[in-house]
Amino acid sequence: MGTPVQTVTPPKVHPRLDEFLFTARRFIKNPLSVIGLSLILVFGVIALLAPVLEPPKYPDSFKMPHSGWKIEPSPPSAEHPLGTTQQQYDMLYGMIWGTRSAFKIGVLVVAANLLIGILLGAVAGYFGGAIDEIIMRVTDVFYAIPFLVMAMALVVAIGRGLKAVIIVLIILEWPSYTRVLRSDILVTRNKDFILASRASGASHLRVILTHILPNAMYSVLILASLNIGATILTAAALSFLGLGSDTGVADWGQIVSMGRNWIVGAPGNRFAYWYTVFVPGFVISLFVLGWNLLGDAVRDVFDPKVRRR
Amino acid sequence: MPQDTLATTQDLFTNFYTFEGVVRALNGVNIVVRHGETYGLVGESGCGKSVTVRSMMRIVQAPGKIDSGSIFVFLNPEDRLKAIEIVHRSEAYMESIRGCDISMIFQEPAAALNPVLSIGEQVAESYRFHLNDRMLEETLKALEGKRGHGLQRALFRRELAAIHRRDARLQRIDNELYPLDGRDDPEARSRKAQLSRMRDRTGGTDALVQVARRFPFLRLYRRRLERTVHGHVVELLRSLGIPNPENVAERYPHELSGGMQQRIVIAIALACHPTLLIADEPTSNLDVTIQAQIVDLIKQLKKTAISSVLFITHDLGLVAETCDRVTVMYAGDVCETAAVKELFKRPLHPYTKGLLNSVPKVEQAEELAMIPGAVPNLIAPPTGCRFHPRCPSRMPICVTEKPAVVEHTADHWVACHLYPKAAGSERSDPERSGPHD
Amino acid sequence: MSLLSYIIRRLFLMIFVLFGVSLLVFTVMMLMPPGMRVAAYVTSDRVTPEMMDAMIAKYGLNDPAPVQYIRWIGNLLHGQFGYSITASAPVLTGFMQFFPTTLELVLYAAPLIILVGIFLGTIGAVHKDEPLDHGTRIFAIIGYSLPTFWLGLLLMMILYGFAGLFPPGSLSNSAHEVVNAPGYHQYTHLLTIDAILNWRWDIFWDAFYRLILPTVNLVIINSALIMRLMRSSMLESLGQDYVMTARAKGADSRTLYLKHARRNAMLPVITVSGLTFAGLMSGAVITETIFDRKGIGWWTARAALQLDVAAIMFNVLFLGVIYVVINLIVDLIYAYVDPRVRLS
Repeated sequence: MGTPVQTVTPPKVHPRLDEFLFTARRFIKNPLSVIGLSLILVFGVIALLAPVLEPPKYPDSFKMPHSGWKIEPSPPSAEHPLGTTQQQYDMLYGMIWGTRSAFKIGVLVVAANLLIGILLGAVAGYFGGAIDEIIMRVTDVFYAIPFLVMAMALVVAIGRGLKAVIIVLIILEWPSYTRVLRSDILVTRNKDFILASRASGASHLRVILTHILPNAMYSVLILASLNIGATILTAAALSFLGLGSDTGVADWGQIVSMGRNWIVGAPGNRFAYWYTVFVPGFVISLFVLGWNLLGDAVRDVFDPKVRRR
Repeated sequence: MPQDTLATTQDLFTNFYTFEGVVRALNGVNIVVRHGETYGLVGESGCGKSVTVRSMMRIVQAPGKIDSGSIFVFLNPEDRLKAIEIVHRSEAYMESIRGCDISMIFQEPAAALNPVLSIGEQVAESYRFHLNDRMLEETLKALEGKRGHGLQRALFRRELAAIHRRDARLQRIDNELYPLDGRDDPEARSRKAQLSRMRDRTGGTDALVQVARRFPFLRLYRRRLERTVHGHVVELLRSLGIPNPENVAERYPHELSGGMQQRIVIAIALACHPTLLIADEPTSNLDVTIQAQIVDLIKQLKKTAISSVLFITHDLGLVAETCDRVTVMYAGDVCETAAVKELFKRPLHPYTKGLLNSVPKVEQAEELAMIPGAVPNLIAPPTGCRFHPRCPSRMPICVTEKPAVVEHTADHWVACHLYPKAAGSERSDPERSGPHD
Repeated sequence: MSLLSYIIRRLFLMIFVLFGVSLLVFTVMMLMPPGMRVAAYVTSDRVTPEMMDAMIAKYGLNDPAPVQYIRWIGNLLHGQFGYSITASAPVLTGFMQFFPTTLELVLYAAPLIILVGIFLGTIGAVHKDEPLDHGTRIFAIIGYSLPTFWLGLLLMMILYGFAGLFPPGSLSNSAHEVVNAPGYHQYTHLLTIDAILNWRWDIFWDAFYRLILPTVNLVIINSALIMRLMRSSMLESLGQDYVMTARAKGADSRTLYLKHARRNAMLPVITVSGLTFAGLMSGAVITETIFDRKGIGWWTARAALQLDVAAIMFNVLFLGVIYVVINLIVDLIYAYVDPRVRLS
C-alpha cells in the first residue's frame, strides 16, 4: 500500500512570464516572422541613424538635396549611389529620410486609431443600449464612405502635407478598430468571471480595465499589426497622387510619382531610368512586407483559435 | 483469437505531435469486439476512448498519427476467420469500409450534421457512396418496360458496368492481398504497398458518365436515380421512428431538436447496414428522457440491423444497462476487460474499483469515495503503469514496468501487477495470435 | 423575422446611413472657403467671377450651416449636382461620361479577383503546410504588400515600355474615332460590350487588349485578401465535426473538400466579395491614373488636384450609395444561401 503521489508539479515560473516565453518561442520558430521583424528592425535603425547616414543639407531635414537642375534622372554613380529622380533629387537621401516619414505615419496613425477604437469600442460594448446604437451607426456611416476618395476630399479641404495625411488617415480608419474591439467585448462581458467581479463590488472602470480589456485585446492588436502596412500603402498612394508632402520632401510615394514620366526610356535604351521607378517602390514594398509578416506572425501567435494545438 | 471476433486492436500506439510536445494518447491498447455483442468502452475524459475508435476507423485528426500496432477486422461474412489488417491499408479501402461495414455516431449531433445541406441530402450520401450499384439496378428496373428514356438507361448502365468492373478488379487485388497480411518480410511489405497503391488508383467511374454528370442540363438525367435514393432515405427515416419523414428530409439540421438530430445521425450510420456501429458518447449531450429513447433505439437496431455496437461512455449506469462486455481505460492504458456483470461484481483493477466506489449507490450512507490525484498530462505520462501515482495498491514494480494484459479468470482480462501472469500461460496477450491460427 | 420586414429594416438603415454620409460630406465641404464651395451650386455652363460673387451672396454661402445644408440637400434631390471644372460640364454629365470606363474595368476585375482568391485559398487549405500552400501564401502576402501604383508602373515599364504590349488608355485613337462615328451604336457605353453588339471584333480586341494590364494589376493586389480569408475559412470548416462525420461515412477527399467544407467556408467570403466589389469602384483611382483610363477615379484624382469641389463631393456621395446598396444585396444573398439564416 502506498499513499497516492502528486504528479502535478507546480510551475517554476510566474504564469505571465511563462506565457510570454511561450509566445516568444512560437514567434521565433516561424521563419517568416523572423524575416518581418528583421526588416522592421533594419528600417528602424536606418530611421534612427538618418542624420548620421545622410546629413541634412537644409534646415528642414526632410527636404532632399539636389545637385543641379537637369530634368532627366541620373543613373547611380559614386555621388548618387541610388541615382537621382527627375530634377536631380538624390534618391539615397530620399530613401533614408523617407524611412522616418513612413514610421511617423504608420505608428502615429495606428496608435491614435487604437486609442480611439479602444475607447469607443469599450464604451459601446460594455454599456450597450443607446450609446452602443449611436456609436455603431456612426461607424456604419464611416464604413460607407469611400476611403481613398474621401481622403482626397479631406486633403483638398484642409490642405496637403504630411500632417494632413496623418490626420486624414486617423479620421477615416478608426471605425474598424471600434467594431473589432466591441465584438470582442460583447463576447467577454457575458462570461461568468465578469459577473463574479461585479458581484464582489468592482466598479465599471475597474472591471473594464482589469478584466475585460486584457481578454478582449487580442483581436484589435492583431488588426493593428495587420493594418500598419495598409495604412502606409494608402499614405504612399496619397503622396503619389500629389496630395501628400510638398515637392522635394523625402516621401517615398512622391518619389515614385516623380519617376512616372520616365518609365519608358529612349528607343535604344528602354530601361534607361528603371531605377527611378524601381527603387522607391521596392523600398515601400519591403517596408510594408516587413509589417505584414510581423502582423501575420502576431496573429498566428495570438489568435485564440490557432494558439494551442 | 476468439472465433467470433469482429474487430481488434493490438498494441496500438497513437501519438499527437503538437506544438507543446508529443501527446502519447494510446499506450499499447488492446481491445477485442466480437460479433453480436454490445461492447462498452469506459473511462474518464481524455483517457483515449475516442482516440482508440478513431484510430480503428483511421480518422484520427492531424496532428495525430498511428505510430505502431495493428488493427484487424473480420468483415467477410463467408469466412469469419479472414482477418484484414487495416493500419497500412490504402485510403480508398478505408473509404469503402467507413460508413459501410463500420459506422460511427458522434457526441454532438448538431455539430455532426452539415448546416448547409438538407437532411435528405446528407442521408442520401451514405447510399451514394456505398450502395450506388444497388441504386442503379433499382432505377434501371423501374425504367424497364417504359418507352423512351434511352439516354438515361444507357448512362445508368454504363455507370453500373463501371462499378462492376471496379469491383472485379478490387477483388483480384484483394485476393492477392489477404494472404500477404500475416507476412512481414520486406518482399511482402513492398508488394502490399504496391497493391495498396493500385487499389487507390482503381476508379469506378466511366468517363462519359463523369462528363454527363457535370454538364449543366444533361445532369438532370440523374433525377430518376436521385428519386430512387430518396425513396430509400424516407423509408430509413421512417423505420427509425422519425415522424413525417418526407417533410423531415427537406429540412435542415438546425430546424430539428437534439433527439431528432441524433436519430438522423444514426440513420446516416445505418443506411448501409454496417456490421459494427461505434457510438462515441451519443447521449452525453442530450437530456435524460431523450437519452433513454436513443439507447432504446440502439438496442432495438442491434436486434434487427447491426451485428455489434461499440458504446463509448463515461456513465457506468449506461454500461450496466446496455453492454455485454466492457473495457475500462485510463490515460491511454487498458486496465480491465470483462463481461459487465463480472466486472461490477468482481472488479480486479484498482482503478475499476475506485470508479465503482465513486458512483453513489442507493444503500450507501457514507461519503463518496474519491480517487485522489488528477488525470496525468499525456505529454509526459507516468512511467510504467500510468495509474501508479494515484493507485492505493502501488508497488515498486508499477513505477518501472508496464503491466501486461493477463486473463486472470475466464474471459476476465486485467493489466495490473497485482495479478501477474497466470501460471502456465506463455502468452500474456492472447489477442496477439494473428491469422496464423 | 420574415424577409420583408428584414428588407424594410435594412432600407431604413440605408437611408440613415446615407443621411450620415451626406452630413459628413457637407462638413468636409464647410471646411473650405466659400469661393471653392460655390461650384457645387452652379447649374449653368458658363460662369464668370462676378457671377460667382453674386452666387455666393445669393446662395448665402455665409449663412448658418444648417440652412446651407438643407439647401444643398434640396439641390441634390433635384438632381442639381453643380458644375465640374475638370470635366468642363455639369457634374452629372461628366459622371455619365466617365462612369462606364470604371464600370467596365470593375466588371472584368471583380469576378476574376473573387475566383482567383477562392481558388488559391482552397488550394492552400487543402494542401496545408505543403509547398503549394506556402507558395500561394507567399504570393498573397507579396501581393498584399505591393503598392498598387508601383506594380502598375512596373508592369507598364516591362510589358509596354520594353515589349510594346498592352498600351495604356482605353482605346487606340483609330478605334476612338470609329466608336464616336454616327453609325456606331453605343448601347451600354461599355467598350467591349458595345463592340460585340456592333459586331466589330477589331474594336473589341482593341479595348480588351488595353484592359488586360489594369485588370492583372488589380487582381494581383486584391485577390490576396480573399485568398487568405478563404484559406482560413476552409481550415476552420475542415476542423468541424460534420467533416469528420462525412469522413466516417466514407466520403472521398473530393467530396469532403469541395462539397462539405467549401460550401460552409464560402459564406464569409460572400460578404468580403461584395465589399471588394464596392471597394474596387473607389479604389480604381490609382489604376486609372496610371493606365490613363478616363474613369471616375481618374476624374476624382484630377478634381482633387484642381480643387474641383463639386466633382469630389459627388463622387463621395455616389460611392457611398454604391457601398450601401451593395451591402444590402450581399446581405440578401447571404441570407438566401445560408439555410440557418433563411429559415429562422
